[in-house]
Amino acid sequence: MEFLSALDPLFFFLIFAGSLIGIVFGAIPGMTATMAVAVCLPLTYALDLNHGLALLLGLYVGGISGGLVPAILLNIPGTPSSITTTFDGYPMTQRGEGERALKVGIVSSLFGGLLSAAVLFFFAPVLADVAIKFSYVEKFLIIFFALTVIASLSRNLLMGLFSGVIGVWLALIGTYDVSYGGNGDTRLMFDFMEPYLAEGFSLLPVLIGLFGVATILDEAEKGIKENTADMKLSLQKGAKFSFSVFRKQKINLLRSGFIGTFIGMLPGVGGSAASVLSYTQAKNFSRHPEKLGTGEPEGVIASEASNNGLTGGALIPLLSLGIPGDSTTAVLIGAFTLQGVQVGPLFIGENLDTWNTMMVALLTANLMMFVTMFFAIKYIARVVMVPKYILYPIIMMMCVVGAYAINYGVMFDVWTLLLFGVGGYLAAKVGIEVAPLVIGFILGGQAEVYFVKSLESFGTLTIFFTKSPIAMFLWVLIFISVGYSIYTAVKAHRQKQAGDNGK
Amino acid sequence: MKKRTLSLCLAVGVIFLLSTTYSLAADKLISGNLRIVIGSKSTGGDTYQNSAIVADALAKKLDINVKVDAVGATAAFNTLKRVSNGSTVMIFHDQSYLGYLYGQKGYENPFEQYRIGPTVAINPGNAYLVAKKSPYKNVDEVLKACAEGNNIRVAIQPGGVSEIGYSAMKNAIKIQYPGKEECLVAVNRGSQSDKNQAMFDGLADVINGSVQANEQYTRLPADDQKAMSFIWLTARSKTIQQANPEGMGETSRADLLKYVDPNVNVTQDGKKNFTFDKEFFFLYNKDMNPAIVAELDRALSEIFAEGKIQETQKKSFFIPNFMPSSEAEAYLKDKMAQYEVILKALHK
Repeated sequence: MEFLSALDPLFFFLIFAGSLIGIVFGAIPGMTATMAVAVCLPLTYALDLNHGLALLLGLYVGGISGGLVPAILLNIPGTPSSITTTFDGYPMTQRGEGERALKVGIVSSLFGGLLSAAVLFFFAPVLADVAIKFSYVEKFLIIFFALTVIASLSRNLLMGLFSGVIGVWLALIGTYDVSYGGNGDTRLMFDFMEPYLAEGFSLLPVLIGLFGVATILDEAEKGIKENTADMKLSLQKGAKFSFSVFRKQKINLLRSGFIGTFIGMLPGVGGSAASVLSYTQAKNFSRHPEKLGTGEPEGVIASEASNNGLTGGALIPLLSLGIPGDSTTAVLIGAFTLQGVQVGPLFIGENLDTWNTMMVALLTANLMMFVTMFFAIKYIARVVMVPKYILYPIIMMMCVVGAYAINYGVMFDVWTLLLFGVGGYLAAKVGIEVAPLVIGFILGGQAEVYFVKSLESFGTLTIFFTKSPIAMFLWVLIFISVGYSIYTAVKAHRQKQAGDNGK
Repeated sequence: MKKRTLSLCLAVGVIFLLSTTYSLAADKLISGNLRIVIGSKSTGGDTYQNSAIVADALAKKLDINVKVDAVGATAAFNTLKRVSNGSTVMIFHDQSYLGYLYGQKGYENPFEQYRIGPTVAINPGNAYLVAKKSPYKNVDEVLKACAEGNNIRVAIQPGGVSEIGYSAMKNAIKIQYPGKEECLVAVNRGSQSDKNQAMFDGLADVINGSVQANEQYTRLPADDQKAMSFIWLTARSKTIQQANPEGMGETSRADLLKYVDPNVNVTQDGKKNFTFDKEFFFLYNKDMNPAIVAELDRALSEIFAEGKIQETQKKSFFIPNFMPSSEAEAYLKDKMAQYEVILKALHK
């Protein structure tokens, strides 16, 4: 119990400060949990390992959670893993239920975070052994499974699939990076584009362009019609938050939390895939799948429980294999290396005190995040009361600053933001669907790497079906997901036809 | 009159203060903020760790703010080309010229494109490993297996430090067992995680790794799917000898010495063994003020003369290796020429 001596007031203060700063980073479009951890990493050099980790874990949990604020209130995902939060969160805000949506999101985040922390604490080494059973083939199938959400998210199936393909295509522009085992060659671009697009389009500028800038342009087109008095009315007119909303969502909460944890523990699959996958499952298992995407708390629960579930999950391979589970833990590992502490398969056994301290920090960070956000939300939600002609220029400025900062000052990222903002605004006019496009963009790059690497490793397409029982199980899930999407699309079509005939 | 005298005194005072501040600022070639971009995107890797140690020491010595940004090789080189005023410098390792020798995109001859700054440290941990259950227990058995016509798959990240040891083994087979070098096959993988996974999946017989990242795996019991054994550390014996006696983790310096030349034989030319020390050094914009170069040399000389940084470096399994700019450039140029010969011989 020597670790108890590390739990001094400074330790808890650092967790609190970390959570708070993390929430702010997560809530500002263009700034992420990863960026928060990266910015504060050098500070840990002056602290000891336990205090350093307290700060960074606070930042991690706060950063992942803060993303839900702009996603729900402004339709801009604060972090890539909160994209699916926008699908139902923003329609709820438009209906005047912004505060309720935020509270649903925060409670789900807490649940996901605590669930994953428990899984991490009790099963980390065992799950690390499970994680290494997932080779390129299984990882490709998981991404493929997540991509099936495109079918169920599309308003028009054909257009949605087309948009998804465009997203994948956009993701492939750039270099097939050697750090993924690629050949380092560029593709899908002309030579003159190489200085700008060698690394492809950056994810975050694309996201905040498509969601943020496009929304602002859309609003600009409508013109200034509202005033703050109207907004105040709309903020208060919707349903109030009550914990009873979770009564019928226990399975959804658990499933989403577990999906987040599970995806988190697979290195290289990433946080966005977690929320996309759990959103797909929420839709597939929902009694009213057609309602998801129109402002159902169910969707917010699925997205937020899974993206916070990711936190504990991503720490599993980090602490049991020495391999980060997502981009933020990839930065977090720096805290260990800066202190000269090795992380690997024997880390937990050899550093029990650090391990216990980390668990306390993770638990406390989740609770502090919850308390801070749950009680501050009343005031945060008021951001929608700021007149849009004042709010949007500020958001625009933050988006530009965030885009510029995301890769330590690359001007092309700002152009990417504007390009995708205008592109997204125009694309919507011709019927291209933004959500499938973004999902294609997020998952396309990984899908390619895992597909190509699977073929390189095994040399045959049949390996995708025969590699392992896990692969076969994933195929079953994929077929169910696709089949169900087709079934609901046909059902909706028939209902619409019946409705038309009845008129 | 009194008022006028007071005003005059005040004015003189302000002018004096301003001129002192100005002359102090002018005297200080490096002031305010110094940005160090590194050739790696990882903050968990050795480049960041080593750069953070140096940055911390420089910040204290020069009383400035130093920030290390893990931007990756391409972005770092681009930044370096753009900024010549000395506010941004780069720290990277042998990958800077190996990337060029291997023809990687984004890499140019660093000696022509940039100014080479001082070397600061060696990471002696570049390693090759096999699974604990592997039929091959050492490099000799691996090379002999190739000589017998068996394909040996080596997981590497192509085009640099990760590949150089693979190229050396291929070169050794070419010299010892001509015609059999094709039996050593590269399996292109990205991160360390991917290389490890290739071994877990049975898709690679040998993987490139490092003492820091893989040492714990070597202590797992043989029946664990993840268990590995070192077969070769590419560092020179005299480099490892400078490490702390406790080595890394539970693997002592004496244990590590079992995996280096002359206990491991990977011939370079039939006479001497191939070795490779991964060395970290500064790179500057070609047109950076020589006075700033000299100032950084001076600051680092003093830092290393004080001896504290060496302790920090050794604690983190780095071997201190300070050489001022001019010395470093000649030394690294020579090093590049040696590896160029090996790579050219392989492509003949």
